[in-house]
This record gives sequence, C-alpha cells and structure tokens, in this order.
Amino acid sequence: MTTAAKAQHRFVPGQPDMWAFVLFEALVFTAYFVVYVVCRTRSLDLFLQSQAHLDLRVGVFHTLVLLASSWFVARCVQAARERSFRAALTNAYLTMLFGFVFLVSKVLEWAAKLDEGFGFTTDEFFSFYYFLTAIHFLHLLIGFVALGIAVHQLWSPARRSQELVETCATYWHTIDFLWVLIFALLYVMR
Amino acid sequence: MSRADGERILLWTLPVVGVVWLSAFLLFPGFVQPMSPTMSAEEVAAFYRDPENLPRIRASMILFNWFAVGLIPILALIVLQIRRMAHRTPIFSYSLLACAAGGPTIFLMANLFWLLAAFRPTRDPQLTLMFNDLAWVTFSTQVGFLIAQSVILALAIYLDRQQRPVFGRWVAHFNLVVAALLVPAAFAGTAMTGPIAWDGLLTFWVRNIAIGVWIVVMAVVLARAISRQRADEAVAA
Amino acid sequence: MSDSAAGTLPEERSGSLLRKVAWHWRYDEKRELWIGWWTLVVFYNLYGLLFFVITRTQPPPQPSLSPAEIAQWFADRHHGLLYGYAIVSIVGGATAVMNATLAYSMRRMSVSRAFAYSYLVIYALATLPGMLIMGVVCSVGAMRPDRDPALMSWLYDFAFLSFEGTMGVFLIGSLVWMAAVLLDENRVFPKWFGYLNLCNALTEVVVAPAWIFQDGVFAWDGEIAWWINMGVFVTYTTVFLTLLRRLILREDFGTGPLPELSQ
Repeated sequence: MTTAAKAQHRFVPGQPDMWAFVLFEALVFTAYFVVYVVCRTRSLDLFLQSQAHLDLRVGVFHTLVLLASSWFVARCVQAARERSFRAALTNAYLTMLFGFVFLVSKVLEWAAKLDEGFGFTTDEFFSFYYFLTAIHFLHLLIGFVALGIAVHQLWSPARRSQELVETCATYWHTIDFLWVLIFALLYVMR
Repeated sequence: MSRADGERILLWTLPVVGVVWLSAFLLFPGFVQPMSPTMSAEEVAAFYRDPENLPRIRASMILFNWFAVGLIPILALIVLQIRRMAHRTPIFSYSLLACAAGGPTIFLMANLFWLLAAFRPTRDPQLTLMFNDLAWVTFSTQVGFLIAQSVILALAIYLDRQQRPVFGRWVAHFNLVVAALLVPAAFAGTAMTGPIAWDGLLTFWVRNIAIGVWIVVMAVVLARAISRQRADEAVAA
Repeated sequence: MSDSAAGTLPEERSGSLLRKVAWHWRYDEKRELWIGWWTLVVFYNLYGLLFFVITRTQPPPQPSLSPAEIAQWFADRHHGLLYGYAIVSIVGGATAVMNATLAYSMRRMSVSRAFAYSYLVIYALATLPGMLIMGVVCSVGAMRPDRDPALMSWLYDFAFLSFEGTMGVFLIGSLVWMAAVLLDENRVFPKWFGYLNLCNALTEVVVAPAWIFQDGVFAWDGEIAWWINMGVFVTYTTVFLTLLRRLILREDFGTGPLPELSQ
C-alpha cells in the first residue's frame, strides 16, 4: 500500500496499532479501577478517612498541567499537518516541559506524603494511591520516549512521518485521559 | 592459531573436566554409597558433622562448583556441528544452545544446597535435612534439559538429509535411548525407597552412568566430526 | 505448501492424521518451524494442566496461611505435587525449542541478530524461576509430611515468591521482543503486537508489590498481582501463538518483507 493510499484509508489518526494498544491498556486500567472501587466499598470509612489526607488542590494542579500538555501535543500534530515543523517542534518541547512539571510535582507530592508518615503499606487506600499513581508515572515516562520519537521524526526532513507523530500524540492523550480517571477516583470521589 | 586448533583445545578440555568430575564424585562421601532419603534429620546432621566427611564434602562440592559449567564448551561445539546439518532454519542449534544454558545452572543450584548444608553443621538438624533434601531433589529430578538435549540432537540428526550427514544415524538412536533412561529419575521425589528413590538403581546409577556414557560417546563422535570437517575444508581450500 | 517444489513432490496426502504427519515429516520444508510451533502449543496446554489441575498450585494459595495450614496444604496435594512436578521436569526442556522458535521469528526480521540471541538467553534462564525452582521446592515440601511446619512455611514462600515474583527475565525479554517488532521492516509481526509486549512487560512491574504484602489485592494471589496479570498473560500467549502460525504460513525463507497471506 503506498503512503497516499494509506492516507486515504486512514480512519484513525496515527497507527491503528496504537489505538489497539490504547484500548487494551484502558481495559487493564479499568480492571484496576473496578478492584479499587470494590475495595473502597468494602472499607468505605477507612478510605474516606485516608483520602482526606490528599490535597485536592494538588490533584487539580496535576490535572491542569497534563491537560495543558495534551493541548500542546495536539497543536504539535496540527502544525506538522500544516508542515510548519519549527512550530511543531516547539509545541513538542512544550508538551515535554509540562509533562516534566507533572513528574516533578508528583514526586514532591509523594515525598510530602511519605514525610507525613503515609507509605505504601500504611493502609489499603494508600496502597492504591501509590500503586495507581506510580503505574501512571511509569506510563508517563514511556510517554517521554514517545515524544522523543516524535521529536526525532520532526527534526529531519528525511523523516517527518505524520503517522508516527500522530501515533505518539495518541499515546500521550491516553495517559492524560487515564490521569483524569485516577484523579477522579483518588481525589474527587469522596 | 587457526579456528580448528581452538576447537581442538576446547575438545581436549573434556578429559580434564571428566577427570575432575570423576574425582569429585568419588570424593563426596554421599555418592559412592548414595545417601538414602530415609535417613532421619539426626543421621543427616551427623553425616555433615562427621569430621571424616566434612572436608571431603566441601572439597568435592567446591570442585563441582568450579567445573560445573565445564561441559558447556562441548555443547557449544555440538551446536556448531548442528549448524552444518542440512536444515532450513537454525532452530535446532538455538534449541541446543538454550539447553546448554539450563543444564549446568540447575546443577549449580544443587551444588549450592550441598555447600549450604555443610556450612554450619551445628545448626538445627531439621535445617540441614531440608538443605540436603533440596540438593538431592534438584540433582536427581531435574533431567529436563538433559532429556531435551538428547531429543533435539536426535531430531536434528534425523532431519539432516544430505549425502554425508554430520553424525551417523546411530548417534540419534543412542540419544533417544539416553533420554529414555533419564526419565525415571524425574520421579525421584515420589519414592523414599526402591529403584526410583534418589539413591535407587534407576535414579542414581542408571541416570548418572547414562550421562557419563553420553559424554564419552558424544566426545568421540564430535572429535571425528570435527576432524572430518577440517579435512573437507583443507581439500576445498 | 512449497510452491517451487510442488511439481516434483508427491501430492499432499489427505487422510488420517498419521499420514499427514508422515507427509510433512518427509516433504514439508517448513517442518522445523511446525515442530517448534506444535511444541509451543502442546507445552502451554500441558503447563496449564500440570499447574492448575494436577499440582493445583495455580491459582496460588494465600500467603497469609499459618504454618499449620501450610503443612495441611502440602499434605492435601502430596501426590499431585510429586507426580505433577516429575512430569514438569521431564517436559521442561521443551522450552528450549519454544524459545528457539521465537528467537527465529526475530532472526527473520530486518533487525540485528542480537535481538534473537538476547531473547534466547534471557528466556533460557527464565525456565528456572518460571517452573523448575517451584517444582523442586514443592517436591521437597511434599516429600516429608512430618517436616517442621515452620520450615514448610519457608519452602512455601520460596516456591511462590520465586514463581510469581521473579519478574526481571520476563520484563526485559518482553521489551527485547517489543523493540524488535517495532523496529522491524519485514512486517513479521503487526506493530500492535509490539505494544502488547509492552503490556506484558508492565504486568511484571505490577507484580512487584507481591514481595511486600501478605494479603490483599497486591499479594501474590491478589486480584491485581495475579488475576488481572493472568488475564493479560493468557491474552498475550494466545495472540503470539496465532501470530506465529501466520508467520510460518507466510514464511518464504527470504530476507525481505514477508508476503501477506493470500486470503
């Protein structure tokens, strides 16, 4: 299939393979969320009590930061589509910047909680808190690899595969989406 | 120094390794008259505490620890011979390579447990008994990679369809027989007495003699294959 | 099957299973690949049977059992454990052929042979924590029913933690395969399979808390560390067995992109 033909037949942005992956990961995370909700229902008081130790404002900050990063990656894809690659690169870097802000902020939040004496084994809620945020953190690190690939593509005129850039963006959006769900479950649902 | 010389050197390590293994085997007081699984914790602890036994146990096991992987160069040479066979894919040579990694690692585990059992002979006899059990069960029952080695080699030989196959077909039949002889040893955990127990005829004597014979036969066959290979290459050159 | 030689080979015999196997043994140039594939299929089924039905060590029991309960657990499974793991030690070497077949799939790719060799070595090592250590330890646990329950408890931990908790080999191994698939230009496997390898690798990370918790969803028998992980693993295995079969059917023994199957 030539690139042109492929472009005509594309019904999702980026590789369809990435969408399959994203769907599968979403399924796995949904399973984690279901387990969380079931455990929470069983020990509601404990969870409510422990949740009170999480700062909602910090959660909101994280969410806004990631949403901003998603916005920048979307602009990056748009710029690449319009073939203004300098702009696309700038937006990719901004995405990375905001992603990095999230990472640092997350680590600081963990440090603060550990300081207050809430560790992985403190109670069931905190086990979930650290587990969900850590596994998300790991996905975010992988997201940086994806962004790196996107930047690598945008850099040289020899490459610049629109499909690959969109694929990386798709992944980034997914991590943002998963964070919103985690935020809702851990911080908001009280 | 040519490649052929290097391979010959590797081949000649085998008799050296063989002598070391045999010495270690005879040195370990629990092999020549194999320890029985029915020994009580006290008897096993006494075995390890006995000042006649302890130095021999440690020396033999240290020797085994040094030379446990001594067979791998020979397995590597067999892998190279499989590559010369008329196969469509490298799957058989890869398989044998994987077996080569597995077998000695397991033997090292057993070796480790024996050394552990001998390290603090004054500890609780129940602990010494457990380490002794772990060592013997690992040593006796883990025949998987040895069986696989022989079966894979046999398959590779049967499928080596060329004018002059690398190994004669009898080598394949021989390997299947060896594989079959190793099977009973896998069941060593199921019996405390009799031929299947880890000190029994099938599990201890038949198994270990089969392995010994396999090593000797394969070494001879390998040496012949390598010299024939060199002769062919010299003619071609 | 083999187009070029079709003119000179006897017709593929239809008929009994034995006849078909004999034909393939004699004439099919892909027989090594099929030997590898069938070894994979038979072994995984046997593995399921041995671990879930005969030894009954999967799904895993709770880490939080008391020593007396653990002694009882071993006693209940006395024969299953001893005979089941005997069979495991006989067939365990089949993993060498399985890993060789998967390594071959990477050889067929346009990527360096280093990927195939890395995978082969990593997974050769993986058989120890993947089944053999557990086999030895459970056999030792079962063989003396009158052993001190405190020692049985240690053996129990040794068996299950080494089995459920050894993650590195499968983690790195999956990442190696993932990288190979994503970089490959011969279209040996679809890209989404590369990503599925990433999912499988991540399940190894998720298991880590099993070393910390003795009960709950993160313990070695927990909903997250075992059940969800097992779901991913079964999916992954079924998928790669299917993809491997397609690979063998498409195989042209060349070095370029694999042709698609003519549907």
